[in-house]
Order: sequence, then structure tokens, then C-alpha cells
Amino acid sequence: MKSNTARSGSAWLLILVFVAGVIVQGPALAAPEGMVTTQQLMQEVQMSSQREAITGFLSREDIQSQLSARGVDVADAQARVAALGSAELATLAAQIDELPAGEGLLETTLFLLVIFMLLDIAGVTDIFPGI
Amino acid sequence: MSVEQACARHRALLLLVLTALLSACVAAPQTQRLQDAPPPNLANNEYLGFVPFFPQQLYQCGPAALATVLNAAAVRVTPDELVSQVYIPARQGSLQVEMLAAARRSERLAHEIPGTLDAVLGEVALERPVLVMQNLGLRLLPQWHYAVVVGYDLDRAEITLRSGTIRDYVLPMAVFERTWARAGHWAVVVLPSGEIPVSVSATDYFMAVAAFEFLHPQLSEAAWRAGMTRWPGSEILAMGMSNWLFRAGQVQESAIILKNLLEERPDYHPAQQNLTLIRQVLSESEVL
Repeated sequence: MKSNTARSGSAWLLILVFVAGVIVQGPALAAPEGMVTTQQLMQEVQMSSQREAITGFLSREDIQSQLSARGVDVADAQARVAALGSAELATLAAQIDELPAGEGLLETTLFLLVIFMLLDIAGVTDIFPGI
Repeated sequence: MSVEQACARHRALLLLVLTALLSACVAAPQTQRLQDAPPPNLANNEYLGFVPFFPQQLYQCGPAALATVLNAAAVRVTPDELVSQVYIPARQGSLQVEMLAAARRSERLAHEIPGTLDAVLGEVALERPVLVMQNLGLRLLPQWHYAVVVGYDLDRAEITLRSGTIRDYVLPMAVFERTWARAGHWAVVVLPSGEIPVSVSATDYFMAVAAFEFLHPQLSEAAWRAGMTRWPGSEILAMGMSNWLFRAGQVQESAIILKNLLEERPDYHPAQQNLTLIRQVLSESEVL
């Protein structure tokens, strides 16, 4: 009888400790399958801002005139950008970020290089087979 | 944005030469706008004397600037302690993403604020020093540098930095603008969980909190709650708050946030999906 009491006492203590732990910390629940997590939303925001950067770049008049001068359909290029995956978007957005903003012979050459890399990835041209 | 940033070494001389070279031909549109029409709510001048100074060692402007803003946000840390986190010897510099990550490791949120002088000065006016990156060289011959904006004077069109080996480096706002523009107008405010920069959008803020939560789930509750208060209509912040509550075991509260959100935005798909799943979890626990 005595040992029974002691046992149920320690059981209660265990429960108490457990409950206290839950109240203080709360159990960390894993997200059920299919739940939209914060990390997923974060990736979506990243992708949409990269997409905006690229379409913004393709909307620039100087870029559009350089593209049309080379026979590239701008609307077509835009449509293909809309279909790019996250890794491709990140690559392109980083390249556009690195572009110098001013004018000049060297910078124009860099522009063209990047434009063609961009279009290669987007499947409009095929100058750099490695991409 | 380029990835590697070696700090400028002979920056004073370089700056002098470049200023002479560039002021003749490059505009500083933001400074001009500030001069023509200063924001009505912005104090004329400000100087944050409480921000400590850590003179830069050799090329290590990254650790020095980061220690400056972290100490201003009540984190006791020296540049030496940050070197292993942000300094890359081969590059003689620090990556921007690693500067942000190191701030988070010190239990602070790193907020990228808009690249406008209005935003930077607005934060300084609220006693928040702003970590900035500059390119003190040319676009094609860059000299990357990190510094901290600690003051400004609209009448004199000057900015004060903790920079390199100079405690109070006062320079013309137009010169600062040009060097800052060449580094992509990168500006960061480092704050404890629960505080919000004045100049960020709900989405910017969400990104900062989400990145922080990844490292410090327990500390991010205050950040989500502050965000919900500031932007009660933001779907993405409500999602972040709801997800945080769910993970913390506050399933009912998590569901309530989503229900409220769906009353405003009945067709917001991520909230519908999560609420359905949370209701399943709740009904299962009732059966038990």
C-alpha cells in the first residue's frame, strides 16, 4: 500500500513536470504534409522579386532596341522568363545586378553578352551550349 | 550585386582623387531631391553619439562595421569575434549575405531597407545607425567598403560615418550617394526582435523575420506580433504568425489568425490550405 502511494506520487510528479514543460515551452509541432510553411513563402517572395528584376530589365527601352535589332522578339523573351524555375531566375537576376548602369563600348559589349546568356537560358537563342 | 567585397585601404587618398574626378561628371539625384524638397517630418540634423567605434584592422571593414551596429543594438561583440563569421581572407572582404547572417547569429534581425537617402536618414533620425556598403572606386575598378551612417546635416548636405579608421568621417552627401549607388544602394538596419524599421514594407519585414526564425524560433514571436500590429492587413505576415503559433503548439490560436485572414481575403489559397490542415489536426486531437 505504501509503495503504491509512492509510485502513484512519482507518477503524478512526472505528469506535473510534463505539463509544466508544455506550459512553459509548448510542444514544437511539425508542420503536417501540405502545409504552406514560412520558408516556402519566403522562397516565393524571392522568386517573384527576381522575376520582376528580369522583366524590368527586358522592359528597358535600350535593351529592347538592342534585342529587336538582333531579331529577337521581346514579348517572346518575356513569356519565357515567366516560365523559368528558381535556380535559373537566381542566375539571371544576379547577372543583371552585376551589369554596369552607364554607357560605353565595354559596357555595351557586356550588355550584349549577358543578354545572349539570358536568352540562351530562356531558350530563345543557343550561343552558349553549356548553359 | 557582386559577391566579394575587399575593403578599401588607402581610402582617404582614393576618395580625394575620385571625388575630384567624379563630382564633375556624375549626378547625385537623391541628394539633389533632398536639398530641393526635404521630407517634412525629417529633423534637420542628427548625430548618434552613442554608437561605438571600432577602428578597422587592415582590410576588415566588414567585421568592424558589423560590430558597430550590433553593439548599438545592445550586443556585446568585438570585430575580432566576428572575423571568423564574415571575413574571407582570400577575398580580403566580407559577403553581404554573411553580414546579414552574422547579425542573425547574434540574435538580431537584419533588415535590408530601401536604397533611398530618405530611408537611411529616416532611420538615423530614430536613433538607428545604418550599415551601408560603398564602392569607393569605379564600377570597373571597385573598392568595396562597409561603413555605418551615424549622422547627417541637411543644411550642410553632409553625412557622418563610422568608417575605416576614422571615428567621425564627415563627407558631402553627394559623394556618399555616388559611392553608395555604385554598391547598389545597400543599406541594413540591425534590430532586436519586436522592433521594426520605419522604411520597410510588410514583405521586406516578412523576409527578415522568416530568415531570423530559421535560426531562433523561440525569439521570433515578438517579431511576428509586432508585424501583425503594424500591418494588420498583410496576408504574408498573418501566415508567418499562424505558422509560428502552430509550431509552438498553440493550434487554436494559429487557426484563429487564419480565420480572421480569410474573412478579409476569402480567396487567399495558402490560408485556406493551412486552415483545412489545422482543422484536421484539431479534430484528431478531439477524438483522442
